[in-house]
Amino acid sequence: MWKVYKYTLLDLARNRFALGYAFLLLLVSLGLFLLEGDDTKALISLTQVVLALTPLLALVFTIIYFYNQYEFTVLLAVQPLRRQAILRAQFLAITTALVVSFLFGVGLPVIAWTSNAIGWTLLLTGTALTAVFCALGISIAVRQRDRAKAVGVGLVTWVLMVLVYDSLLLWLLFTFSEYPIEPVIVPLAALNPIDLSRILIMLKIDLAALLGYTGAVYQHFFGSFGGMVVSFLALLLWTALPAWGAVRAFVRKDL
Amino acid sequence: MRRTFASTLLAMCCLLVGARVCTVRPGGTSITEALAITMECDTIRVLKGTYTEGALTIQRPVVLLGEGWPVIDGGGTGEVIVVNASHVTISGFVIRGTRVSDMNDNAAIKCISVTDIAITGNRILHCFFGIHLSSVARATIADNEVIGDEAVSETRRANGIHLWKCNHVYILRNTAIHHRDGIYLEFVTDSHVDHNTSAYNSRYGLHFMFSHRDSYTHNLFHDNGAGVAVMFTRDVTMTDNRFERNRGASAYGLLLKEINDAHIERNLFTDNTVGLLVDGCNRADIRDNRFEANGWAVRVYANSTAAHYEGNVFTGNTFDMTTNGDLVLSTLQHNYWDRYRGYDLDRDGVGDVPFRPLSVFALVTERMPYAMVLSRSLMVNLLDQSERLIPTLTPATLEDRAPLMRPPTPGTPTTMNTKGRTAP
Repeated sequence: MWKVYKYTLLDLARNRFALGYAFLLLLVSLGLFLLEGDDTKALISLTQVVLALTPLLALVFTIIYFYNQYEFTVLLAVQPLRRQAILRAQFLAITTALVVSFLFGVGLPVIAWTSNAIGWTLLLTGTALTAVFCALGISIAVRQRDRAKAVGVGLVTWVLMVLVYDSLLLWLLFTFSEYPIEPVIVPLAALNPIDLSRILIMLKIDLAALLGYTGAVYQHFFGSFGGMVVSFLALLLWTALPAWGAVRAFVRKDL
Repeated sequence: MRRTFASTLLAMCCLLVGARVCTVRPGGTSITEALAITMECDTIRVLKGTYTEGALTIQRPVVLLGEGWPVIDGGGTGEVIVVNASHVTISGFVIRGTRVSDMNDNAAIKCISVTDIAITGNRILHCFFGIHLSSVARATIADNEVIGDEAVSETRRANGIHLWKCNHVYILRNTAIHHRDGIYLEFVTDSHVDHNTSAYNSRYGLHFMFSHRDSYTHNLFHDNGAGVAVMFTRDVTMTDNRFERNRGASAYGLLLKEINDAHIERNLFTDNTVGLLVDGCNRADIRDNRFEANGWAVRVYANSTAAHYEGNVFTGNTFDMTTNGDLVLSTLQHNYWDRYRGYDLDRDGVGDVPFRPLSVFALVTERMPYAMVLSRSLMVNLLDQSERLIPTLTPATLEDRAPLMRPPTPGTPTTMNTKGRTAP
């Protein structure tokens, strides 16, 4: 498994797209920090970019890379190697590459400009989101025969998680505003990895406003150390479950 | 300055009437005896030591001067010093040992129905009420430290500096922490509250009602349970104050309730849940303030009329300005908003398109507070952007017609509290 991991990673290191991704992030981060006078404001803008862009690119890149490597994967599959190991290695390699790109593109500027709690939370959640969407991407790619269709499914997944889910939540809030919906809405939001990451970062930025109304709910759950651990466990679960599903599907797949 | 002036005046009075100086030291004459034998306008020097004599009652004009921080301990029997005479100065003491009571407002220093009082440079530690003035005209309360006990629960706390029905009082450079209200004024008129620090109080840093024609400048209010709340008063001037880190469901940097003709200028509001709440105020002039990193920078209730906001700076707030109705009878102009994305073609420093500070998401959270969970999501941003372009839900009148492109001279308020921030 580690040999496959190593060679996939070496291949990824030469991949123009992965490099481009790293430099795109670097450009965006540097641009924001240099153009914006206030570092915290730049960080907030960067958060928006990371929360939307990281999942999208991780999804699309994982899917496309899986199809590009398809022939090599088939070649590996005829070798005396366990299929599980092949896919697991590929998944880990892609995740490593994207996380490294992310930490290079976003991590360096963030550490240079705003090495505070918000910055570190952003890096942590960005890393977690990359892993989550690599896992989702590979599970989509394994299950689809056609590359275009897989990319389509990936895009739909992204739109669902970034836009539709929040709209549904807002609709739910309006529809059931007469009912004590508050205890339900926070766990519901936390079910979506993007929302969960956003809440974790927001807790650091909008603390003053959050302490206003629902302070108790947020602060007690997410603010505590236990809440942080639970949140990151949830993100880990979001990575592990799709990845596990992908491996299962790959093992049974007719290559 | 004023203090020196007061002491000089007192000294001159003493000279004119031929007043004497009487010295009290531990083991010698007690303060009670000294108070009994002194004539009017005498000075009692109290040397270093601890004096536990129960409640001291001052019946004639004297100057009580502590040297080397003598401690007057009430012993927990009731009040510590009761002033029943006009023209009294109390300076340089450590005062402690009031009794907590639900019946009496026991205070470290209490003055009732007198005039011309100076209470300067004392340390009042772990007392129920600190300085309590009732029906007093012309008083100076300066340079005192009124420090309560952090461990005491709110029900057993009282106000640090408490004034009822007074006029022409100067409250200067005091520190009030760990009390119920730091500074509490009711029916106190024509007075000045300057350069004080009020922090970590379980209720309000500053609380006043029916206190007309007062001014509040260069004070620092931070980490108070419910911030600063001022009510039912006209002609209020609040300038160069700082309101910081007052957080909670009902905490406000500054709550203006039924305040008429107020001047709120050059204040700094940072890290509060609500920076400024304007409820039922008429003719407030709110200018050159800075609102930084608050949850809600300004909340204006629709029952406020003729408020004018000019030259204020709004940066890093979750919500800049919200209101609870469709009617906005306030005017906004020449403020700086960090969310403003307009342009300035004629380069006069003023944006060419108006800024609308009330976002649709702010409106949503006004109705459903827990919608905060969606704050800063992409969907909410898109919603806000579209609303800014074509306003349909937010009141059209709440807008800054001439927003500034750059913040006006940074660094206001210029002069800060000289004592700085006092840690507990």
